[in-house]
Amino acid sequence: MTDTEFVRAYDVVGADFTNAGRASTSIKETLKNMGLASTLVRRVAIASYEAEMNMVMHARRGTMTLKVTPGDVTIDVQDEGPGIADIALAMQEGYSTATPEMREMGFGAGMGLPNIKRNTDALIITSDIQRGTHLVMRVHVS
Amino acid sequence: MNTGTHTSPTTPARASTAATVATTLGEVRIAIGADIVWCPDLTAPVTGVVAADLMSDVLVDSRPGYVLVTGLANVQVIRTATIADLAGVVFARGKTIPPDVLALAREARIPVFRCQRSLFETAGRLYAVVNGRTGNADGWPPA
Repeated sequence: MTDTEFVRAYDVVGADFTNAGRASTSIKETLKNMGLASTLVRRVAIASYEAEMNMVMHARRGTMTLKVTPGDVTIDVQDEGPGIADIALAMQEGYSTATPEMREMGFGAGMGLPNIKRNTDALIITSDIQRGTHLVMRVHVS
Repeated sequence: MNTGTHTSPTTPARASTAATVATTLGEVRIAIGADIVWCPDLTAPVTGVVAADLMSDVLVDSRPGYVLVTGLANVQVIRTATIADLAGVVFARGKTIPPDVLALAREARIPVFRCQRSLFETAGRLYAVVNGRTGNADGWPPA
């Protein structure tokens, strides 16, 4: 890998359950092709997938931007959606506002944000009610 | 504006560990009498088993090389298996596998099996096979 920063953006569409997870699968493939360690790639992929499913389930649309430098892998997640009223509550395992349809897809058990936190070295969440949510997820390369 | 900052330790609490390989997809298939829906290599190693219908739970509890046993049959199962580096998926309870799920499995090269037994019995039989062989089924959560 060179010292140059690698950047690639992926669009995510709300309620598109058929394609949900496609962006994260692509991100995983990209990191794997860069030759990054499989343990690191798996952690980033899991965090990315949970964030993508959150957008598909709750937001109208969103963008995931993958940034790779020699030191870090960062995924910047920005959505247009309802926002998160209480971030501390949303971080608790088991807390969920998912509908039965979302649970039928195998998600919405209230493990999304806790699982993102578990698989990242740093996580910053900001949210505006009725506007959207912004996540910055970072994993150290070494 | 709501802001929260969460910093995890550099080393994740549930870091993956290499397990002793002692089981294969073929042995898993025989243990539960499953049909092969799509599998290019029955000698592929299996490092453990996770049974769940909630994909977030699979992302937490699995390790690379695990086989997922589930009663859920949609594309998210295959995407989860891809993201989590799973060795394969067993659809229990004789679930009908939709064509889009099978197509994605082939594309992602995720082996797929179908078992007529209940989720409980399938998981139980696999526990008996894997327990003591990979070291990953002796307790919860996995090491």
